[in-house]
Amino acid sequence: NLDSYAIELECLGRDGSSPKAIQSCVERLKNDGFCVDELFQKCLFEEDEKEMVLRAVRMIQPDYELPPPPTPEICKSSLLRDFYSKERNASYPKLDFSVRELRKRFRKQLEMEMSNTITIKSVEAMKPMTPQATKARELLASLRSQWHDSLLQALQKAKHDMSKTSMSGSKMLYPYLCLLPDEEYVSIMMEVINTLSPQGVSLAFLARELGSKIYNRYITHRKMRSRYLEKVQKVYENYIHLLAKDSQPDNYLPREYWEKLVAETGFGPSLCLKDCSWPYVLHMRLGMHLLELLVQSVKVPRNILNPRLESKLIPVLYHIYSFRNTWQVGLVKPHPILCQIIADASETTLTFNSCVIPMLCPPIPWTSPHFGAYVLNDTKLMRYVDGAVQHQALLDQCPQVNLHPVLDALNQLGNCAWKINQPVLDIIISIFNDKGDEKLDIPPPVSEAPKPPPTPSNPSLLNKAQKHELMLCKKKAAEMHSLRMDSLYKLSIANHVRDKVFWFPHNMDFRGRTYPCPPYFNHLGNDVTRAILLFAEGRPLGPKGLDWLKIHLINLTGLKKKNSLQERLEYANEVMEDILDSADHPLTGRKWWMKTDEPWQALACCMEIAKASRSPDPAAYVSHFPVHQDGSCNGLQHYAALGRDLIGAISVNLMPCNVPQDVYSAVAQQVEEFRKKDAQQGVRIAQVLQGFISRKVVKQTVMTVVYGVTRYGGRLQMQKRLKEFDDFPEEYLWDASHYLVKQVFNGIKEMFSATRAAFLSSLPASPFPLSQHWLTESAKLIAKSGQTVEWVAAPRPRSLGRGACSPREAVPGAPKPDTVKQKNAFPPNFIHSLDSTHMMLTALHCLGQGLNFVSVHDCYWTHALTVDVMNQICRQQFVALHSEKILQDLSEFMLKKYCSSPIPDNESKALLQKKLMEQLSSVPKTGDFNLKKVMESTYFFS
Amino acid sequence: GPGVLTRTLLNSGVRVVALENDLAFLPDLQSLENSLDGQFKVIYGDFFRLDPLVTGPVKPPTVCSEKLFESMGVAAVPWRADVPVKIFGILPQKKERNMLWRLIFAVYECSSIYRYGRIELNFFISEKEYKVLTAKAGEKRVYQALSVLWQIGCEIQLLHMEPWASFLTNLKNGGLAIPRSTALPNDHLCLIRLTPRKDLFTGTMKPTNSSTFVFMVKQCLAKPSSRIIDKLNSWSLSDGCKLLRELEIPEDAETVSLYPEDYMRLFDALQNSSVFTESWFHDEVLESARNMN
Repeated sequence: NLDSYAIELECLGRDGSSPKAIQSCVERLKNDGFCVDELFQKCLFEEDEKEMVLRAVRMIQPDYELPPPPTPEICKSSLLRDFYSKERNASYPKLDFSVRELRKRFRKQLEMEMSNTITIKSVEAMKPMTPQATKARELLASLRSQWHDSLLQALQKAKHDMSKTSMSGSKMLYPYLCLLPDEEYVSIMMEVINTLSPQGVSLAFLARELGSKIYNRYITHRKMRSRYLEKVQKVYENYIHLLAKDSQPDNYLPREYWEKLVAETGFGPSLCLKDCSWPYVLHMRLGMHLLELLVQSVKVPRNILNPRLESKLIPVLYHIYSFRNTWQVGLVKPHPILCQIIADASETTLTFNSCVIPMLCPPIPWTSPHFGAYVLNDTKLMRYVDGAVQHQALLDQCPQVNLHPVLDALNQLGNCAWKINQPVLDIIISIFNDKGDEKLDIPPPVSEAPKPPPTPSNPSLLNKAQKHELMLCKKKAAEMHSLRMDSLYKLSIANHVRDKVFWFPHNMDFRGRTYPCPPYFNHLGNDVTRAILLFAEGRPLGPKGLDWLKIHLINLTGLKKKNSLQERLEYANEVMEDILDSADHPLTGRKWWMKTDEPWQALACCMEIAKASRSPDPAAYVSHFPVHQDGSCNGLQHYAALGRDLIGAISVNLMPCNVPQDVYSAVAQQVEEFRKKDAQQGVRIAQVLQGFISRKVVKQTVMTVVYGVTRYGGRLQMQKRLKEFDDFPEEYLWDASHYLVKQVFNGIKEMFSATRAAFLSSLPASPFPLSQHWLTESAKLIAKSGQTVEWVAAPRPRSLGRGACSPREAVPGAPKPDTVKQKNAFPPNFIHSLDSTHMMLTALHCLGQGLNFVSVHDCYWTHALTVDVMNQICRQQFVALHSEKILQDLSEFMLKKYCSSPIPDNESKALLQKKLMEQLSSVPKTGDFNLKKVMESTYFFS
Repeated sequence: GPGVLTRTLLNSGVRVVALENDLAFLPDLQSLENSLDGQFKVIYGDFFRLDPLVTGPVKPPTVCSEKLFESMGVAAVPWRADVPVKIFGILPQKKERNMLWRLIFAVYECSSIYRYGRIELNFFISEKEYKVLTAKAGEKRVYQALSVLWQIGCEIQLLHMEPWASFLTNLKNGGLAIPRSTALPNDHLCLIRLTPRKDLFTGTMKPTNSSTFVFMVKQCLAKPSSRIIDKLNSWSLSDGCKLLRELEIPEDAETVSLYPEDYMRLFDALQNSSVFTESWFHDEVLESARNMN
């Protein structure tokens, strides 16, 4: 192929071969239907390979010039025509930093990524240290250095042995143990000892993790070696001119500007690495091998904690099997001695991979599915389960121009700069380091766990009840441990960046839902984490900003859900004293904030309101506070809009109303009506349920029904709700929850005309054509539908929904897909892709208007000043999206792809195909809801 | 049901208590009960849902052994006494493995039905499970933890083998709903008798420490090709080699090659050393004991 010729020419160029040899090579290349220009347009180069190929070509064609870079393509989606139009003269917002500052930040980030891991102080470091801890830490340090040495020795011995043996299974791993300096393998292995949970971790999981750590480190090394780093650095330092406040260019999107700069540099390595991903098996085998080294060479004297015992070296990690029913899982567990030392030492540093920390400079813009986010760390544009390959393949086959809007939206989300709300963080840490507080969602330390009864020396002496109690205690302790650690990570990372400005690079899942890459600390987190985040950029509140802050606060309390915005604002003014008291004396005052739905965000908001209202001119007060606008049951909003259902539209606030409508109450009411009818007809269970049907009972099921909850899952939810009633007769639980879930589904169907829901959910139900051409066809689907990028979002889930079920099944040529899972997974994935499309459209248009915008799925954030603008854009984009013929187009695509093959001979298959065709062509009639009404609906997003 | 088993047992003249889990068969059985003058009694319940693991009230056909024995009018006898009750049944194919595990745990703990003495089981099970129960040391892929535990715990007798072909089927394709088996022959339905050994608890083994034995055997045979010495070492035993030498077990022996009696002797030896109380082993046994109950 073309790459072979590139390599041949590179060699010829490097050793200055005769023009004759080069000539012959170029002729063969042409005979194979390639041309010289293609070498430079399509091949990926590392180090000086490109220069060498060029040198060879110029030996026979001295005046050869590199082909000009392709002219950038412009996305032609109808929904984004204005956004991408040539005449646009948008000036995108700048960051509040100079070029110099950004350059400094970039270097810091690069430094961090080059050293791979970063060790930070945990927030527990603020606690005083006990003498016992000092002793344990010294012990641990000396043990670690011994372990390090014995691991290094063992690794070197293993490598030596491998190099000596002739071909064998383990020999295959030899090259992969030579990619990094020995020290790096050892430090990656040492991380396992430091982070292993006392309950043990599955062998397979550990091995895979070790394998991929080695792989990631190798990629970083490769990037550092191959002059890739040099080039990224050069391009980035030019790129920041686009973002810095003291610099010129401003009507480029980040992606466009980056591409322009790359094109201008011309020479050097490609910024995409040649594909070098390792197969799954390799990750596993490499990991297994290293794990075995760990188990065998890391030891501790048996009597280290109890000198009375005789001394003997025993392994620190051991294999154990855990039996679940009839199958077994291999676990690796730390020896209780190690757990004891680690617990005693209560170390106050945490070591993380560098990509766990938010970025210290604006992320590299996504310019292709393979390039973006961190400087060196490999990041995927699309997250997926290990082993699933079809996502990446589909992205690669899709014309790049169709991905532009997605990339630009992700870049916009990633370019939002953040900082820490320090006063709130300090209060949270003080509670965390005291005893935690379960009510406020600050997990207490394990030392606060309920103590199990004293155990006799022989466990079998316990009776069933005692065993049960012991088990509950242990389970509770394990849960508390993991909650505590999760919080510790989040707070420690937040504390580490407390004085810094930072960024969250984003990627997405196969439906287009976007996620920040750093896993622990990010704005998608719980109430606690959200409360400590602020926009780094400040904007004055403007005339209505303070009011928006107040309304936002009341939204966070969850108190006035059924009231109008005006009433919420009035309520805020009524309780102003409580608000100010909360802000001034959060822990000693009346603690109004603690009784709210989202206490920590409410507290942060109280403090912001206090500061703003006390400033001489609130309208000029510069606020960093993000104000949220939530979609009200966003999934159902899309369903209602797809079918223009009037009743549905009203219930999910697509229609303007004076007060917010509550779909849950509406469904509850509907269910109650069904129940009454049944009760009158003597249905026993309907009679039992009298007085138990409420908004709260149906809420979770209604919320999740759009996202694919099944009757089975729905019943469990219902059962949980019913159990919360003390007076509900236990013997009816099963029947009642079963009945309720059926009625909720009926209620929703009634409101969101059944036909449409049925249409969607029946699409992939026919097994025959979908299963056969699923993968190959869906790639084409994307290309075809890519005329508007939002259609990329639409067809994608159909091909990838399967991936969500079982990645290995999804490999071409694999067994038939699971039709039930497809049927269940398709509609929710389709709806998710609609909501993510809506979010991306909103993000891009907000960017066009210079707004700060981030999202947590269907919750949009911006400054108080710009809430009104964002609300308007959000509604416009919703109307625009649903003005497209979404269902008709979907039907046409599916018909074309799955029903255009010749009629099969087999009678039953032909029948199936006919059935599918009918099904696909019968796009339901829409109702009479006027979509434009959304523009005036206050409570659509509020 | 009022089928061949019940009929045969009644014809032999013994007192029969039938556990019926299908409401449809109950009325006929009840009228049979009335006509047989005390020789026959029917109880609504499912033997394969005996003593559920979850706590809380049980709902028929799930039954508790306590209730069951009470209504049968059978009192507990010491372990060394004669067999107080014989149970006859056909193990559902899908539940075979699960039931065999639960029953053997109960034997070692003297819990559930075994609280009432050495209950004799007469079961129809598939040939492949019979092969597993009676597998000999060294038979890779057949010899498992279940083999060791059953062979130590009970005497296993084969009473009858009936080819699958003798059975009618209601499947459309005329086949039998028998799980496919590749490693082991599975051409028969086997009637076997499982009688708990009288001397099971005369040595070191006690119902109170037997969970350690069960745990040890399971861990050893989870990977049959692992070496016994590695296992002993990873249990931080002070001198595994010496112990093996004393027991005359080769040092490089794989766990699959140890006889059931070897495991028994290993357990005796370890029980007398401090391993089980000092090392982590203690905690793990506790944890696994929870998993089985």
